[in-house]
Formats: sequence, C-alpha cells, structure tokens
Amino acid sequence: MSHDVGLMYGGNLVTDAAASLPVDGTTGSAANGDDERLAYRSIFQRLFIRPEVGAVIGAIGVWTFFWAVSGTFGTAGGSWGWIDIVASSLGIMAVAVSVLMIGGEFDLSSGAMTGAMAMLTVFIVKETGELGGLGLPMSVSLLLGLAVALGIGWLNGTMVERTGQPSFIITLATFFSLKGLKLGLANRFVGQIQVASTEEASDYDFWRPIFAGEWERNTHQFEARDFFYTSLPLLGFTILVLAVAELWFNRRSTPNPAGMIQFLVGLAVGVAGVGLMHGTDGTGGNVLSAAVIAVGVLVGLHGYCQWRFEPLTDRGTLQLDSTCRNRLLIGFGLIVVGGGIAMAIDSSSDAQFVFPFTVQGIRAIVSVGLMVAGLGLLATVSQAALSINAATKFVATAALAAGVLLVAAVVFLDSESAKFRASLFTILLAVALIVFAWGLVVSRFEERRFVDRDADRSGYIMMIIGLLSILVGIAFRLLFVTEAELLAGVPPTKTSVRVLWFLAFTSVMVWMLARTKFGGWTFAVGGNKEAARQVGVPAARTKTQLFMIVSFAAWLVGVLVAFRINSIQANTGDGKEFEYIIAAVVGGCLLTGGYGSAAGGAIGAMIMAMPLIGISAARWNTDWRFLFLGVILLVAVVSNRYLRLKAEALRR
Amino acid sequence: MSAPLLELEDISKYYGNIIALTDVTTSVNAGEVTCVLGDNGAGKSTFIKILSGVHQPTDGTVRMNGDEVTFAHPRQSLDAGIATVYQDLAMVPLMSVWRNFWMGAEPTKGRWPIQWIDTKKAKAIAKDELSKMGIDIRDTEQPVGTLSGGERQSVAIARAAYFGAKVLILDEPTSALGVKQSGVVLKYIKAARDRGLGVIFITHNPHHAYPVGDRFMILNRGRSMGNFAKDELSRDELVRMMAGGAELDQLTHELEDD
Repeated sequence: MSHDVGLMYGGNLVTDAAASLPVDGTTGSAANGDDERLAYRSIFQRLFIRPEVGAVIGAIGVWTFFWAVSGTFGTAGGSWGWIDIVASSLGIMAVAVSVLMIGGEFDLSSGAMTGAMAMLTVFIVKETGELGGLGLPMSVSLLLGLAVALGIGWLNGTMVERTGQPSFIITLATFFSLKGLKLGLANRFVGQIQVASTEEASDYDFWRPIFAGEWERNTHQFEARDFFYTSLPLLGFTILVLAVAELWFNRRSTPNPAGMIQFLVGLAVGVAGVGLMHGTDGTGGNVLSAAVIAVGVLVGLHGYCQWRFEPLTDRGTLQLDSTCRNRLLIGFGLIVVGGGIAMAIDSSSDAQFVFPFTVQGIRAIVSVGLMVAGLGLLATVSQAALSINAATKFVATAALAAGVLLVAAVVFLDSESAKFRASLFTILLAVALIVFAWGLVVSRFEERRFVDRDADRSGYIMMIIGLLSILVGIAFRLLFVTEAELLAGVPPTKTSVRVLWFLAFTSVMVWMLARTKFGGWTFAVGGNKEAARQVGVPAARTKTQLFMIVSFAAWLVGVLVAFRINSIQANTGDGKEFEYIIAAVVGGCLLTGGYGSAAGGAIGAMIMAMPLIGISAARWNTDWRFLFLGVILLVAVVSNRYLRLKAEALRR
Repeated sequence: MSAPLLELEDISKYYGNIIALTDVTTSVNAGEVTCVLGDNGAGKSTFIKILSGVHQPTDGTVRMNGDEVTFAHPRQSLDAGIATVYQDLAMVPLMSVWRNFWMGAEPTKGRWPIQWIDTKKAKAIAKDELSKMGIDIRDTEQPVGTLSGGERQSVAIARAAYFGAKVLILDEPTSALGVKQSGVVLKYIKAARDRGLGVIFITHNPHHAYPVGDRFMILNRGRSMGNFAKDELSRDELVRMMAGGAELDQLTHELEDD
C-alpha cells in the first residue's frame, strides 16, 4: 500500500531522473538553454529594462513643458540656471544617495552634512572677530573637512551595522545632532548664525579656480560655434540611427561593398547639405540645403543597411484595418486643431487667464497636448503595423513622418524668428526625415530575431558615441556666443567648474557600479544582504563605505557651497535630504535597495531642478515648485513600478 | 579504506532544555552522496547548522579526513571546504548569473585603487563551469531571478564546486520544485558527485534520495533511525522508514476508505 502511494507521488520523477543519468552532452530540455529564456527581445524592450529610462522620458517631458510655457527657459541663461542647481548641490548628492539606496540604506543626515561641511570649511580658514575662526590655510581646511566628513559617514555606517537598527532612525539622530552642533557652535564662536566669506585664507587664490572657476559666456566668442552646434548633433543623430539599425537588423554574413559605396555617397551628400545650410543662416530656413540633406540621409541609411544587413525578400501588400485608418484620420485631425489653436492665440500675451496659468501657458499646454496626442495616435498605428508586413510598416511610418512634418510646419509658422524655436523646427524636420527613412529601411531589410552579442556590442558603443556627440554639440551652443548674438544684446550668463565636478563624480559612480567589485557588492547587499554575506561579501564593510561615499559627496558639495556664496546660514542644506531621496527614486532606484542606477539619480536631480528655474521663468510664484515636486514623485514612483514590472515580464 | 572525507560521530545538540539532535553518526566519502532524510522537525536544520559552523555541537566529534575539527564560525567551515547551498539559495535575484556566480570573489584587472572586474573572463568561466554541470546558459547576463528553481540550484552548486568545495551540503534542494525541475537538480547532484565532491543531500523525499544516494541516514525527532549503505536498503524500506512505516499504512488505509 505504502508503495503505491509513494509511486504516485514520485514514481515518474525517479524514472526520468534515473533514465537520463549520467550527465553528458545530451541533457534534458530545461537544462538545454533552448527554451523561452532566450526569446528574442527587440531593442526597445531591452532599453526599457534600464532603471533610468522612466527618468529620461520624464526629464524630456518636464523640459519640453517649461520650454513651452516660458520664453527664457530654453535659452543658455535658463539652461545654465538649472544645470548649476544640479551641479552645485542636488546632482552630486542625488547620485551618492542613489548609490546608497541601491545598497539598501538611507542617509537623512546628508542634507545637514552639506551645510555642516560648508560651515566647517569656512570656519577653519576665517580669522575675523574674537574667536571667529581658526585662521588656517585653505588646504588644511579642505583636508580636515574631508576627514571629518568621512568620519561622520563611517560613524553612520558603523552605528547602523552594529545596532542593527534601520538607517532611517540612525541617520535621523545624526541629522539632529549635526543641526544642533551647527547652530550651537555658530552661536558660540561667531556670535551670530552666519559664517562670513572664505577669501581671507592664504591659499584661497590657488583653490578658487578649482572649486569656483567660472566661465563667462559673453566673453567667449566663437564664430564657428553654430557649425559645431548643428553638425555634432546631426552626426550624433546619424550614429544613433545607425546604432539602432545595428541592434535591429540581421547582419549579412558577407558585407555588400556596393552598399558601402552608396553609404559613403549618401554621407558625402549629407555633409555637403550641412555645409550648404551653414553657408546660409544656419537655422534651417534654406529649403534647398534641407532637401540635399534629406536625400543624403535616405541614400546613406539605405546604403548602410544594404552594406551590412540582409535584405528582405517578401514585403507583402498594404493591410490597414478600419481601426488603423480611423486612428490615422483622428491623429492628423488633432495635429491640425492643435496647430490651429497655437496659431489663433497671440503668443506674446502675458495676460493671466486663470491663476496660476497665463493665456500663453494654456495655449502651450492645449496645443502641445493636442499635437502630441495626434502624434501618439499615429505612432500606435505604426506600432500595430510592425506585426503586419513590410509594405504596411512603410505606409504607417510614412504617415507618422507626415504628422511630424505638420507639427514642424506649425512650429515654423509660430516661431516669430526666435532662434531656439527655429532650431526646434530643424529638429522636427530631422525627426520626420528619420522616421520616414526608418520606415523605408524597416520595410526593406530583415529584422533580427535572435541574440547577436557582437552586433549588440557595436550598437551600444555607437549609441554612446552618438549621445556624446549630441551633448557636446549642445555644449558648444551653451558655452560660446557669436558676434550676432552679442550685437543683439544676449544677456550675460555664466557657468562654473561645478559642472565638471558633477560630471566627474557621476561618471566615477556609474563606472564603479557597473564595473567594479564594490559596485557589484553594492547591488548584492541591497538586493539580498544575507545571501551576499553567505558567499563572502563583506556586507558590513560595504555598507559603511557606502555611507562614506555619501559623506564624501556632502563634503564636496559643502566645499562648493563655501566657495560659491559669501555667507552660509547655519541651516544650509537642512531638509534637502528628502530632495535627494526624491531624485534617487525619480531616477529609478528602488526604496528597498538592490535596483537602480547612479545616472538615474543624476537625471532625477535634473527633473527636480528644472522646475526651480522653469517656474520663475514662466513668471509663476516659485512656491508652486513643491506641488510640482510632489506630483513628480508620485508620477515617477507609479510609472517606474509599471516600467519595471513590464521589464520583468519581458524577461520571462 | 582511508578515512572518510567528512565523518560525524555521536553528534548531539541541545538548545537549553530542548533536545534538537541526539547521537547522530554518519559519514560522506569523496565522490559519494550521503542522503539525510527526515520529516519537518526531525533535526535536519540543526544538522546543517552544525556542519556549516553556525552552531557548535553540544557533544560528539566531527572529523575531516580523519582529523578532528571544530567550526566556530561559518567562515571556518567554508575554509575547510564545506559549502552549503541553502534553500533560499544565497543569490541576489536582480543580479545577473555571472555576477551571482562570482559574488564576493570577482576576478579583477588593474591595480588598486583602479581595479575593475574582468568581465570577459568572469563571464567565460561562469559559462564554462555551468556547462560542466550540464547547464548551458547562453546568456550569463540574464538576472538570476528569471532562472527556474532547478537552474538556480545548479548555479549555486557550480559556484560552490568552482570555489574549491570538497563537501557540498544541499538543504532541501528539491522541496520547492516541480517534478521535472527536481529531476534536473538530481542530475546536478550526480554531476557534482562525479566531479569528486562529497555531497550531503538533505531532503524529506525518499524518492529523490534513493536514486542518487550512496548512503542514507534517517532522522526522526532528533534521533538517527540508522545509517545505511545503499545495498543494505531497498527503496521501499527507505520509504517506509521515512514515512514512519505503520503510520503510513494506517494513513493510506484511512484515505482509501473515503
């Protein structure tokens, strides 16, 4: 009897396992690797798995919003405004706090620590007044400050590890201790809650350019600026598109040299077109040069694909069902209506419509909203067409390109010669062209349906080069003026070396998380601390070092603050810790640890900083920014969760 | 015959007045599988914790290759070559297979302080070691969380074997798995054994234990019900002992009457 019961439970299993023993090359299907785990994921699915994707989309959205509702947000002055906020305080801390959050901990003392470090730096070098300060050189102050900061970080980490209490509570205690120390000491030694400037230090002049070097845009004239500003982003976009092609299509076993020649011809035509455009006024008004560029892009992209990818043999016939056709009609309708509204309302009006919205703001929101919705509908059609056949894909993407072209026309008619909007027009034209060209190649070449590591690697490298090229091109625009701009009286703007500190810190953290042992351990202790400990990861040490990274960042920010402003309040930085946490969460970090990215934290900080400048640029009361931050946090948490679930579903 | 790789003699463990384990004796040789069977509460967890150095036995001796050893700390047990693969697997689900494989011992390039993981080597070795265990993961980048339970076990076993384990303790590796996946894990156990490891396979399922085991020790309420070589015991006897013999007959009878 017992025998039967037992066999019913495990009999099949035993015969299975016993029959296929011993293990050799022919293992069972589950171990073979040839199963659903390796289902091919398209490039967009793969990109959406990155934790910072939501933040990137959000940043573009927030930027576009403020660009649309204000006149100055998109200018160099407005851009440096929010970039400096990111660089000088929020960004560096958000990146450090993100790394700590990936490691599964919080640091509520991080905000107060930035202020404490700024005060300490100043206090050590200052000599004025009775007991006003120590009067030591700046070098000593920097070193001492760094040592104190690392000490506080070590203390935070050690206390969290030793007591086993949540870091939330431990660092809350550190926060209040620091706050009390700051206020008490400031009162005791200086007699008031203010610490004056740092300029008295003997070696101040040596350190100033390092921590507060500035760049006056209006004194850096560079006539070839617009050449770089147009050509580098164009080059970048080209590389990006080719990168997507590498990730998208199936490589030929032997490249086709005729395609390469066609690619080079297209490239030459494109470059000639850009040269032609630069010879005119550089804003895209010249129809001939635009047409030449368009031909160059089409020929070049097609040539590139011909050169490297398998052509498609069966293209099928056009199949658009009634839903798709209706969507196309409604999409075009929305774009026309949105454009009409933009045209009909006077864009220079500053009149208040309903508090806090100006007529201009309403106009922007409604028209941009309608046009975006229209484009969205068109995009859904091309999305649907992806699964039908090549001919349908081509028609659907061509329709989308036409929609973008319509929007571009609206922007052009509405631009009133504002140079930045004219460049948006150029960008939209370029997008329309790329969408059309993409439709063309997608309908002519074979989509890759399997994993090709080599192609993926070159695709990703090209993607990074393309993005860098675009950013460098934009940097030219932000760093230099042209004579024409000076004559037109462009307001003075400046930026500082703080941006470089931010970029350097972020790059180091991104590299560390991705490539070093410590980075791996950070994810491990955040994801499953017990597991990490069991296999020999020094979990306590890793966490303590993470706290020290945050306190190092707080020291750096404190020093940057001390060099930037003349007087430091004793409450500087208090309360900012929540903004850092918001930035990290907006950037895709999971509150429970083990998931997230440092770059995401940096982008989250940008999303937080843009409203600061944008709201005042739109001439609203700046207190509205808190509402904005709250809404952003909520939207980010919900959408990041959605994206992550989607990403995980795709992985299965 | 030389001394067994790992040998336990009259091991007892009391937690205060609670007797968790009394007079347990068993051994494992290199290239053999010793199965420790027991129902819930039989003392299997205590048995593992003693071997992995989490707890120290109240009484009795542990010998490795004939020499008496004590494990005061999990690290000492690991250093002696005893690797434990826990039920919860000691893996970080959101991290990739190769990162999990190397976690805590990543190979690096460069000099301090600028050192980075040699990803190419790490991935290649991880893939190679996994294929030696009979699992062919084409993409070591995929997160461990997306692997099936059996595959995760195999990653854990391959990792332990690569990092120099001589004795592998597997804590209920098949209990959370379906029939097919359990079969896969049993094959990995065989593969580990064939590579010369001594395997201690802890389970409550005699049907999983019998095909792979060379030696069986049955625990019941903290007591050893006997320590048998495979040829001393048939599968039916094992099932009977495991299920408490007469009790199961009674249960079957009751169930079939309904």
